[in-house]
Amino acid sequence: MEERKSLIKIKPKSYKDGEIVKVNFMVMHPMETGMRKDKKTKELVPANYVNSIKFVYNGKTITNMTVWESVSANPVFTTYMKIEGQGDLTVTYTDSTGEVHEQSIKIKPKG
Amino acid sequence: MNKIIKIALSVAVLSSLSFCDDQFSMSDKDRAMYAEMLDNNPADMTVASGEELLSYMGGPAGLAKYLGVSEEKLPEYIAGFPRYIKKFDMVVGLDQVLQAMMHDGGHKPLELKSGNMFEMLTYVKSLANDVPINIDVNANQQMKDAYALGEKTFNTKRGGRGLSCLSCHSPDVIGSVLRTQPLPDLGVNNSGGTWPAYRMTKSSVSTLQKRFQGCMKNALLAVIPLGSKEMVGLEVFVTDKAKGKPIAIPGLKR
Amino acid sequence: MQRRDFFKTLGTAAVVGATIPVMSFAAETKKKGPNAFTYEQALDVITGGKKPVKSDKVHLKVPEIAENGAVVPVTVEVDSPMTDSDYVKAIHIFATKNNNVRCIDANLTPANGKAMLSTRVKLGGTQDVAALIELSNGEFLIAAQSVKVTIGGCG
Repeated sequence: MEERKSLIKIKPKSYKDGEIVKVNFMVMHPMETGMRKDKKTKELVPANYVNSIKFVYNGKTITNMTVWESVSANPVFTTYMKIEGQGDLTVTYTDSTGEVHEQSIKIKPKG
Repeated sequence: MNKIIKIALSVAVLSSLSFCDDQFSMSDKDRAMYAEMLDNNPADMTVASGEELLSYMGGPAGLAKYLGVSEEKLPEYIAGFPRYIKKFDMVVGLDQVLQAMMHDGGHKPLELKSGNMFEMLTYVKSLANDVPINIDVNANQQMKDAYALGEKTFNTKRGGRGLSCLSCHSPDVIGSVLRTQPLPDLGVNNSGGTWPAYRMTKSSVSTLQKRFQGCMKNALLAVIPLGSKEMVGLEVFVTDKAKGKPIAIPGLKR
Repeated sequence: MQRRDFFKTLGTAAVVGATIPVMSFAAETKKKGPNAFTYEQALDVITGGKKPVKSDKVHLKVPEIAENGAVVPVTVEVDSPMTDSDYVKAIHIFATKNNNVRCIDANLTPANGKAMLSTRVKLGGTQDVAALIELSNGEFLIAAQSVKVTIGGCG
């Protein structure tokens, strides 16, 4: 399984309990549609795209997304979440080839 | 036959140039929307990878030591590249410094065109974020020479269509729209401070020198190798145009 | 001759040149990919045939002209209190003329605090981008906006 880079960013960087913050998740993924031809071999490049993403905060699913091949390569997803105490935000994503990856960050509200 | 194609091409270029004034250029609102995308730049992941790679060589502290500057002064020092470094007796870009550092540290140096090198270069330059570009093209004879060679490379018409960098980036044509894109003033646009950047059309991170190569390839000029005297000169010349502008890495480009 | 005049004489050629940058994909998207799915199909599957209502509570932000069809920013925001009794259950984004019009289906919860989804999509040509919103009370809202896709710039 290929190692893929991914990143979770919370904006603003410093936040309080109860605050609603922006959550960005991005991953280096080619998002192949299966309809693109390789320039050299002229063969179709097999489809391979992120097809599901789940945001879980302290065991509770905040958002889950079904994603299709029309989303751009190296995709970025932004949504909001309400800070409710310390804990982990875990983003799990799968792609159409069956790869599953997980990325977490610590949520630490100040005050 | 070739001649006909060439003529056809120049007509195509001219006609799109002429057209562009209004209808097909983007609105400021659209541009603002694209600018907002900087907040979520996929190249942020590139910076993170570069940070990890440099950590194997002692991180920013290791780099500062290698360059013979204090860690506090490192960002300011980075903002002055390409520069003449006595140890190498030549004007070099940051990527070449990294290569030398790998070599001296007993590692096999990464190729200038390698993805890992782009990652490290992106990270290292981002250490100077918000610092104004302070390249000094009169610092010594070597820098003067590099600047002159860069200017010459920029202005020299080459290739099948007799184009130079200047053909599209001279004050006469800057601002004209070519295929929906305004021809940029490389100084105002802060090219020196916004590369390496994520290129949306390529879905990957590119460096300033690599971008020069892409330009040459598309304009049918023989491509100049990364890290060559001419290429570093070109980087010196173009970076100097943005002197005083803050470094903002990674950039995000069309 | 002034440059301006020179270009005027090129008027006809210019018009031809002008139509080139804007791709008209309608005629070219005959080949169906594995996930081919039309806009009507997609709406039906989600709403179960219920008609979505156009609403100014839905703020769909896309560029009028996309400088590159491979990366088109899309942001959808919905005015909603996001409480347990009144919230946005889902935001769907469609590229109405792509082979597979579905881009993303996001299921939200009150824990989001704010109903917003932003991503970047590929557009195979000039077309409408649409956002379909499912509310917790079972109602559907919709907004759409046209995006002109250009092949611009130099490489």
